Amino acid sequence: MGKFNDTLSKYRTEKNLIIIFIISFAILGMLRPSQFLTLSNISSMAYQMPEFGIFTLGMMAIIMTGGINLSIVTTGTFIAIISALIMTSEFAVNSPILGIIVGLIVMIVMAIVTGCLNGAFVAYIGVPALLGTLGTSSLFQGIGLNVTKGGAISGLPSQFMAIGNNDILGIPIPMIIYIVVIIFSHYFLMRSVFGVHLHMVGSNPRASEFSGIDIKKVIMKAFIYSAFMSALAGMVMTARYNSAKVDYGSSYMMQAVTAAVLGGTDISGGTGSVAGVVIAVAIIQVVTTGLNIIGLDRNLVDISIGLILIVVLTLRHFSEVSKNKKLIEKRRASS
Amino acid sequence: MLKNILKKKEFTIFLMIIIFSLIVTVLNSNFLKIGNFVDIAKGNVVYGIMAFGMLVVLISGGIDLSVPANITLSSVICGELLVKTGLSLFPIILVCIVVSGLVGLINGILITKAKLPPFVATLGVNSIIMGLVLYYTRGSMITGLPEWFRDFGVMRLLQVGDFNIPIQVVFYIVAAFITYFVLRHTVFGRGVYAVGGNPLNAARVGYNVDQITILIYVFSGFMMGLAAVVNTSVLQGVNPNTYAGVDMTVISIAVIGGASTLGGVGSVLGTVLGTLLMGVLQNGLIMAKISSFWQEIIMGIVILVAVSADIISRKREQAKLVHVDVDESEEVL
Repeated sequence: MGKFNDTLSKYRTEKNLIIIFIISFAILGMLRPSQFLTLSNISSMAYQMPEFGIFTLGMMAIIMTGGINLSIVTTGTFIAIISALIMTSEFAVNSPILGIIVGLIVMIVMAIVTGCLNGAFVAYIGVPALLGTLGTSSLFQGIGLNVTKGGAISGLPSQFMAIGNNDILGIPIPMIIYIVVIIFSHYFLMRSVFGVHLHMVGSNPRASEFSGIDIKKVIMKAFIYSAFMSALAGMVMTARYNSAKVDYGSSYMMQAVTAAVLGGTDISGGTGSVAGVVIAVAIIQVVTTGLNIIGLDRNLVDISIGLILIVVLTLRHFSEVSKNKKLIEKRRASS
Repeated sequence: MLKNILKKKEFTIFLMIIIFSLIVTVLNSNFLKIGNFVDIAKGNVVYGIMAFGMLVVLISGGIDLSVPANITLSSVICGELLVKTGLSLFPIILVCIVVSGLVGLINGILITKAKLPPFVATLGVNSIIMGLVLYYTRGSMITGLPEWFRDFGVMRLLQVGDFNIPIQVVFYIVAAFITYFVLRHTVFGRGVYAVGGNPLNAARVGYNVDQITILIYVFSGFMMGLAAVVNTSVLQGVNPNTYAGVDMTVISIAVIGGASTLGGVGSVLGTVLGTLLMGVLQNGLIMAKISSFWQEIIMGIVILVAVSADIISRKREQAKLVHVDVDESEEVL
């Protein structure tokens, strides 16, 4: 029992998030039981959530370094557009499987290239992450526009479409990809040597440099991880829509920041938890889908996402202040 | 004297404008016509005015990502007031400036009192305000502005042949002088540089850092309000869907103009030249018949190169400083 309590207090953020999830699910379920609590709605959420969750994990890793990645969605769509171009080219039409394999290889290569580009600007030149990724975001979007001329690339092989729309034993394939990504991310960001370094660099870059950590390498790796997540989410999104376009998923940017912060990631870097972010993603997904079902205007849903971000951060700041005050009083009383 | 001018960042920007203009002129001789330059000026004063707001924010070491929502908000208010009320120009400008200033006030309070990092606070405020405005307008355009405002929009001063000064440029010049005066000749302005250089030192010297920070974002808001009215006079209508991503342009202008993203550095003259360079660049691309799809790529490259160049030159300066210290100690020995 003592051990159980220890675990509970260690995972306090996650516990609170689960409670929030249950409450929001229950409220929305009660408001529109006939639409919200249906199998088709829950399954459509299960198809939508993975791409959003994978984007958010990519965002979280960069926020943990103390930066932000404004290029997560544009990286994803950019890579998806190039891969889609290959998969719809002449040789891929003749042998779709080979086309998909080449498309996926290109995706991996491009994830490394785009991640290195962001990482080079931020880690090695020292450009603030916000501006570096704003620049590359515009660059990727521009190239994507040039390739597609503003339209959509469609007519992807049906085997590829299956990734976004089929299920195995009732579990949607995007969900299976998401679960694999979650397990990998948990070990990579929380348990591996790199993960420990990531936490250290985010909380105190100077001290980590003096303790022999190559900060630049850590930030670089975080950006490559982030680009991989973007590429994966972009591919899942493309498979789901069966087409690739520059402005797909543009609302995920803001939602990813909000979900990452709600999930307990410290906006100034250092702390973060994959489990927390995964639950936060589920909360945001339930809230946005629920508000849509209630018939709230899309713009009002955007407002609520912005409000959640600001309210969570403000509450966190003031709870920190009151916690510190209590600590000071405690020390004063004891001395 | 000449050496000092040559060394200045502003001179480098000026040189880039000349070189780029020459290239475009070779490709299309229409570029050099006076009428084209008047068009460039009229088309870019709005970005220029917004860039003054961003300049002040960047000098303080912050960033304002609420720019798109803020100008959309004031543009819609400006359009609604013009269509639905009989208010004249100056009350409308006043209302827009106050409303956008209030958005800045919210930014400032979130940044100083709730200790939100500037980019998160302004990003959140942007999504909230933008959502509200788009919900209110349903994304539809506001047209049918009154006759007098249309006349005002095409007003030109000092007409000599092809040369003239569009009324919007007058507003730009006023905004430039106000920003210059505020930054150079007020305690607040010196405080902006102090806070951007080192907030802790600024507080120790006696600046009220919180108060200055709030005022910085309010000032940025003021500029957005003014820019909204000027933009409405140029376009003679309001389309609330066109401002997303305008923050990118505005930040680019300020950064090209020499404002450091690390804070503490930046000048009005630099920002004016940055606006001119951006205007010449965009006009030149059209004149050279380069597809508009390329514009975004070039914008991305411009911002990356400008920020990187600033950071690299700063690092070099710091390395030099370290060198000087070592040399001096050797002399003492």
